[in-house]
Formats: sequence, structure tokens, C-alpha cells
Amino acid sequence: MTIRRVLILAPMLLILFLLQSYFWVPTYEEQTKGNPERLNEYIAGSIGDASLLNPILTADSASSSIENMVFEGLIDRDEQLHFRGRLATSWEVLEEAFFYINKNASIPGLAKADPQDVANFLRKATKKKNTTAPGLKISLDHITSISVIPARNYSVTRQIKGTDTGEQKKYIKISIAAPARIKLVLNRVDQDLFQNLSLFLGKDYFASFHGENYLSTDPVLKKERSAKYAGELLPATEHNPFLMFNLRPGVKFHDGHLFDAYDVKFTYESIMNPKNLSPRIADYEPVKSVTVIDPLTVKIVYKRLYSPAIGTWSMGILPEHLLNHNALKKEARLLGKDPNTFSMRQSSFNRHPIGCGPFRFQEWKSDQYIILDRFDGYWEGPPNYKKYVFRVIPDRLTQEMEFYAGTIDSYDVQPHQVKRLEKDQRFQSFSGTAFGYTYIGYNIRRKPFDDPRVRRALGMAIDMNKIIKYVLYDQGERITGPFVKQTDYYNHNIKPVPYDPKGALALLEAAGWKRNKEGWLTKDGNKFQFTLITNNGNDLRKAILAIAQDAWKQIGIDVHTDLLEWSVFIQERVNKADFDALILGWQMGIEPDLYQIWHSSQTNPYQLNFVSFKNKEADDLIIKIRQEYDHDRQVEYCHRLHEIIAIEQPYTFLYVGKWTAVLDKRIVMKTVDDAGQIMYEKIKPTKTGNYSFYFNKWIKLPEAPVFMDEG
Amino acid sequence: MISFIGRSVIQKIITLFFVSIVSFLIIHIAPGKPSQVDPMNPKFTPEVVERFRKEFHLDKPLHVQYLYFYKNLFTGETVSWKDNQSVLKKIWERFLNSLPLFIVGTIITWTLSFPIGIRSAIFRGQFYDRSATFLSYLLISIPGFFFAYVLIIFVVNQFHVPVIGMETFGIGDGASLPHIFMDRIWHLLLPSVLGATGGIAVLSRYVRSQMLEVEGQDYIRTARAKGLPPEQVHYKHALRNALLPFVTMFGLILPGLIGGSVIIESIFSWPGMGRMAYEAILARDYPIILTVNFVSAVLVLAGTFISDLLYLIVDPRIRL
Repeated sequence: MTIRRVLILAPMLLILFLLQSYFWVPTYEEQTKGNPERLNEYIAGSIGDASLLNPILTADSASSSIENMVFEGLIDRDEQLHFRGRLATSWEVLEEAFFYINKNASIPGLAKADPQDVANFLRKATKKKNTTAPGLKISLDHITSISVIPARNYSVTRQIKGTDTGEQKKYIKISIAAPARIKLVLNRVDQDLFQNLSLFLGKDYFASFHGENYLSTDPVLKKERSAKYAGELLPATEHNPFLMFNLRPGVKFHDGHLFDAYDVKFTYESIMNPKNLSPRIADYEPVKSVTVIDPLTVKIVYKRLYSPAIGTWSMGILPEHLLNHNALKKEARLLGKDPNTFSMRQSSFNRHPIGCGPFRFQEWKSDQYIILDRFDGYWEGPPNYKKYVFRVIPDRLTQEMEFYAGTIDSYDVQPHQVKRLEKDQRFQSFSGTAFGYTYIGYNIRRKPFDDPRVRRALGMAIDMNKIIKYVLYDQGERITGPFVKQTDYYNHNIKPVPYDPKGALALLEAAGWKRNKEGWLTKDGNKFQFTLITNNGNDLRKAILAIAQDAWKQIGIDVHTDLLEWSVFIQERVNKADFDALILGWQMGIEPDLYQIWHSSQTNPYQLNFVSFKNKEADDLIIKIRQEYDHDRQVEYCHRLHEIIAIEQPYTFLYVGKWTAVLDKRIVMKTVDDAGQIMYEKIKPTKTGNYSFYFNKWIKLPEAPVFMDEG
Repeated sequence: MISFIGRSVIQKIITLFFVSIVSFLIIHIAPGKPSQVDPMNPKFTPEVVERFRKEFHLDKPLHVQYLYFYKNLFTGETVSWKDNQSVLKKIWERFLNSLPLFIVGTIITWTLSFPIGIRSAIFRGQFYDRSATFLSYLLISIPGFFFAYVLIIFVVNQFHVPVIGMETFGIGDGASLPHIFMDRIWHLLLPSVLGATGGIAVLSRYVRSQMLEVEGQDYIRTARAKGLPPEQVHYKHALRNALLPFVTMFGLILPGLIGGSVIIESIFSWPGMGRMAYEAILARDYPIILTVNFVSAVLVLAGTFISDLLYLIVDPRIRL
């Protein structure tokens, strides 16, 4: 019967056809050992794909890892975390400072305060050998030139949104009769300059300058409003720190075009261009101007003291010639789009990037792979690997299988996998302290968390060492404050809060909490009870939630716990500050700028100081750290700030995790010295735990080498 | 006939309109914001977030956003928030990737289910039928991802060949055309077999029960009484009548084209539709989510429409 035969034969033939394809597939062996080219390529496995390959438009880690290969910044950080030049050979941090002549104030020892007189008076003071105040002497010593900017009249127009009347806009004309101004040029940045100068120009010289007396508005505004404009247009004093970058000559983009200062200026302008919607705009907002002095020198002036700004110049530099206004217009016309609305976000450059980094872009298949080829014209000499491949494998188990098979060289290895792979002879493993910490935050607005003794006692009741051992499998260590542990900013003198339930009870008793008959802590008849929350989907936090609940119960605190879906957790609880205590983590940058998370001005809803930590001295220190350009002094302030936070305990700092990485043992560092002698070295992570710092020198050998220091 | 088609099209357009409103509302009312407007990243100042909201029209009332979205969709201007690529282009690319998986999976499902189901029905209650039933329930109850892992580990450890991805990584350099083609077939094998297992288990059950139902009819008894060979009774008289409901089912598999399978595609690193839609949901990339949603709604409605028509053609008893 034909129907029957067809019904049986069809699936059999189909399956046979599918199965025979096995004989055509290259085995893993052929792909790895049987393929000598494999040694020249590095294949990185990744869970997710990149979004756009343009450093100014993205902030996700997958895109950044490719951008770092294709693009190059002016500077980056070396093994010791100091800045080192990349596209810039050297740079200087200087300052221009300004203040307005205050006619109403009297200067001690100077009868008539003519601008020229004030300037001369200052000039004389800088030449004086001894001054009474030592701080003033230092400030004066760093002044290299003093000049007078004559008085001038000008007007500006400002637009204000009618706050009550909705969308209605009003224009205000402001006429300014600016008095003469003194300009000081300093050979370093000095945040104490005006404070020190006031010792000598009179205590109220700067404070008694009222800008609103020099401007008139049309229509006439309320006093506060015009004072606000005065503060903006006529500040009594102004710090303008500036950076002078000397650029590396002869550096080429991958298309052969020479890199110069105009590319730096263009990159800055692209970030600031509102059409591009750059997520990095906040980093560059303090920039006042970027000026090209000559093709190899660029000057970047800042509106105010902002020391984290230097680090932002590690941003990859874009090629101006491919993305400037004309180039984009041309592309828009080619694609048949409106040239006026076409922005860099739409450009095909984001999928075929060209930079001046060590690898040039080759091919991108969405959700499959990105291939980069070595750039032979790289200014520091080409990397050893011929190819860098970024392979997207969304599943961790298949990633691990591919890694075992040798078809990927690195992957997002999990702590428990490292434990297993550590003993394997074929692999080398690395591990180090990560950049993020986990904490329990207390809502200080609510009682009894407003008492630092209570917060400390809560921390003392939890045995962190056990959590690290049994929950984290030792893939974490203790941390005592909000700085990156590997940096100088972290104060190692501070001891972690000890595990001491008895001590905790004593502290709570001092704060008025006593145990009642049933063993619960009470104060004025109220039981000590609160809810500890965290987000769903993080097993570590969930485990800590249960451990903390139990530990606190043991000293007589009635704790409820709750797990919330991430967006509900953030939007309903964290942003609205509607919680008692929560478990959360922060990722830290190297810069010690804590303004957004710890300054008292950031405690409103939707801001990041949601625990409402307020401390006057801490506020001052946070501002000072932000404004200080001298590393040693910054360290000093950070140590003090760290100390305050450790005393106040707004968070119970739980732990900082560890990063881990595993590589094939055959991957080594290869260097060729001047005599042409090839040397191989074992890969070692830097102090900060960046094991791929010398990636350009890596290469894979056919056999695993034996190093002398291993014996 | 024509009035039926006309009525049906109008009904479906109305349904589609409501689907578009409901799916739009669900996505916008659900908690979570697009990752570009993520408030927990200290780098995102309120001004940046505000600008993104404006760019994405998130600052407008919902009905205005709705109009914006569907206007852009029909003019083909919708772009993904993640990478500014045209959504339709992205979906088309992924669709082409998912298509072979879908076709091979469907062919395997349909070619295997019938012989298995028919045989089960013929030997009802005997050893073959029981073991087929057992196996079907086993396959239905094993979670797909677990089965996938077991299969991958088995194949990789036993045969030392790659199974993930659409093709062996790096095969493009210097391999001959038949090699590339067969390599692709090999990479299709596991995911499509895995995708088909559930389908085979369910469909063969349906075939069995349909066959049993038809085999109990009077005309089958008549056929047997006439003295026809059993084979002819089973395959000619019974099977033809048992096939009718499957015609409808064939129309309904159409939406599967765009749905893809998140789990299979993620495990096998297959750059398909399901994975894209899933990642879009995680990142709250509304344009992608809504477009996929809309296209699948269209396909579901088209599928039911086609199956209605097919039924009309196949079953002469039905007249409209």
C-alpha cells in the first residue's frame, strides 16, 4: 500500500538525511589543534551582544569591551591606577581664577581700591618672602600671572518656563554692567585660593560682593530670581581649572587618516550635542570650552573645580572626518533620510566603527559574533594576536562546554566553576577583589534607625565571616566603607564591625532597648520590629536576607522580610524611600566621588542617597574631594570620610565580591626585546585585578610552557 | 463565500485593533522602565533621562504614544531603542534565522506523528501502543531545557563536534559549499529535534484518538464486512476522515513562525526571533516588543482565517 509506505519511509529518509550531516562537520579537534590559525586568534565568549559600537553612545559592558579594542582615549590608568598617556603624550593641570573688584569692601593697607591697585597689591604680595599665614604663602607662590580685565557692559536673554502656566515661555533680557575683574593664572589647581586670599584682601572681600547690584532685568524680577541670575552671570569668584593635552604625533585611524586635536574637540562636541543623546553627557557637563591650540595641543577649560574630570578623557576618540556634519548629511542623503534630523545615532558608523585602537573592526553578525583584526599601524606596535573575536553564547553551560573544547578562550566563569577548574592542569585561573559591594542600608528618616548605636548593633549581630564562607564560597571579602578596596582612597586602618551579639545587646540597651519577658527588645512599650527587603532574583541577597533575619531574631528583634520584583523594588520602595532596611549593592568607579550617594543634598525621592545619610563634616569632605586635584590630599580627605561613615554606620557594609577568570595555560605574554630575543612570561593580574591589562602582548602557544618560577 | 471572507476580515481587523490597544497598555503599565531611563545608574542624570524620555515620546500621554508608535510602524520608521536599527529589518533578519528551525521542526513533527499515532491506534492496548503512550507522556513532562542539556552533553562528549550556533564557528574560511550546507543541516538537527519532541508527543496522541474515533464508525465496519484488506481500511477509509481536524491545526501553527523558542534558541546560541523578543522584554525595548506582538497577532488571525478556508476546501459537507 503506497500511503503506508510513504508514511513510513518519509520520516526515515528525513532522519537519515539529517543524521548523515554529522560526517561533514569539522570536529572540535580539527577546529583547535588541527587549525594552526587558531593560535593567532583570541575568542571571548559573552552572554550578550553589543548594542552600538560608538563609545559616546553606549554605556553597557558588552559594547564597551569592543570599543576599548577599537577606540583609544587620550589617557588611561596604568597598573598602579595612575594616569598614563595614550593618544596624549603628556598633560598639565593648571588653573585660571577670577574675581570681581569689590568697590564697597576695603582692603587692609590699601586706601583706594582701583583695579590696577589691587593687581599691583597682589603682585607685590607674591614677591614677599614671608607672610604670616602659611596657607596664603603657598597659594601666592603658585600664582604665575596677574592681570586686569576691564569693566564692560553687555546683555543676555534668558528663557524661563512659566512654572504655573504650563508650557508658556517667557524671555527675560538681562543687562549687565560687569565691574573690572582680576585674572590669576596658577600653575596648579588650588581650591583654597580665595579662602587664603581673603586673609589678606579682607575677610568679607568676596562675600560682600553682590552681583545683583550690577544687573538689571526686563521685566523686573523678584529679588531671589535676580540673585540666582547674578550668581550664575556674576559670581564673586570663579575657578577655571584647565587641562593642556599634548597629543601624540603620527597616530593614524584605521582608515589611514591622521589623528589630531580636532578629533578631540569633535568627540567632546558630539557628546554634548543633544541630538546624539549621549549617556555620558554628565561627565562632560563641567567643561566650559575645548580649544585647539595647534593640531597637537588641546586646551580643555572647566567651569568649576571638578577633579573626576581628568579620568573622563579615557573616552575613545571619534574620527571627525567620518562623522562631522557634512559626512552625516551625505550619509542621510544616501539613505534617503532627512538630513536635518539624521544624527550620529542613526549612522552606519555605529556598526562599522573606525578608531585608532589596537584592533580594527572587521565584521559583526548580530547575536552571533564580532570579529576584529589586528591593526598593524597601531602606535604602540601591533598586538600579538591577529584576531579578536567576540562570540555571543547566551547560555552559561554551553559556554563552559565550548571553553572545554577550546573554541572559546574566555567566558563569564562562575565562582563554583572556578573551584572546579582551579585544579585542572590545562588552565590557569585568576581571581581578585571586585569593584562592587553589597550592604544593608537603613532608612535613617525612620526610628529607631536614626540612632547610630542601633545601626552599629544591627551590624554586630551578623556574622559576616560565616556568610562569606558558606554563602559566597570564599569568593568575597569584608569591606568597611564606600571606596574601592584596591585604591589608596580606602582606609585600611578601619576595622570591620566585629561579630558580637552580646556587645550589640549592650549597645541597644544604651539606646534604651531592653528585652521583655518573651525575649523581644522593647522601648517605651514598643517592640523592635521592622521589615528587611531586597529584590527578587538574586540568590545571594536572598540568602543574606534569611541569615540577617535569623541573627536579629536571636537578639530579640522581630524582623519581617520581603522579596520584590526589581522594578517594583526600585520604583515603589527605593525611589520613594519607603522602606525600613534593604539589601542592595553598588558598583564603584575608581574615582572617589561620593556626591550622588552620600551627600545630604541627594536625599530627595528618586535620588541615590535614599538612606538619608546627613553629616555636615562628610558633606564638606565630599565637596573637597570633588574639588581637590592633588592625589595625596584627596587620599587624606577620603580616609577621614571613610572614618566618619564607619562611625555613623548608615549601611552595614557586608562584603565585596571577587572577580574570577580562567584561561588556557597555553596563553602567555610574549615580548620581543631590542635584540630580537623572544621572551615569554606568565600572565599576572595587576594590583587592581585587571588580568587583561597586557592583552596586546598575549599569544597562545601550541604547548603549555613551563616557567622557571614554578619549579 | 465572499460574504464570509468579507465578514471574517472585518472581524479580524477589529480584533487586531483591540489587541494592539491591550498589548500597548500592558507593556506601558507593567513595572519597569526602558534601560535607557534606568534610574539606578549614577551616570544618568535627570536631564539625560528627561531627554531620552522625550526622544522616545515617553513624556506624552499614553494615547499620543500609541498613535506615534503605530504611525511609525506602518510607515516602517520604527527603530529599536537599543541600537537604532530599523525594527522591521531586525525582525526580518531574525525571522530568516528562525525559519529553517521552524520548517525542519514542523516537518519532523508532522512526518513522525502520523505513523506513530496510526500504529498506536491500530494496535490499541497492545505493547506498542502502551510504550508509545508512555514515551509521549515522558517527552511531554521532561522540561525542554533539561532534555537539551542532556542531549548537548551527550553529543559533544561522544562525537566531539560542535552543536551550538547556526554553523560551526569560523567554517566560512575555505570550506566548500556542500560542507557549509551540511554543516548548517547538522546544526539544525538538535534544536529542531528538541523543538519537535513536544509536538510529536502531543500530535501523535491526537492522531491516535482521531483514528480510534473514526475506526469505531459504522462505515469502517461496513468496509471490513465487505472483506477489504485491513490495510486498505486503515489507510484509505479511516485515515482520510481522521485527517480533517489536522487541516485546522495546520493553519494554527503559523504563529509559531514568529514566536520562535526562547529556551532552545538561548541554549543553542541561535540568533532567532524568540531570543530577540526575550532580550527586548528584559531591556523594555518597547518598539521591538510591540512590533513582534503585533506581527504575531496578525499571524494568529491569518492562521485561523487560513484554517477556516482550508476546512471549507477539504470538507465538502461544509458550505457557507
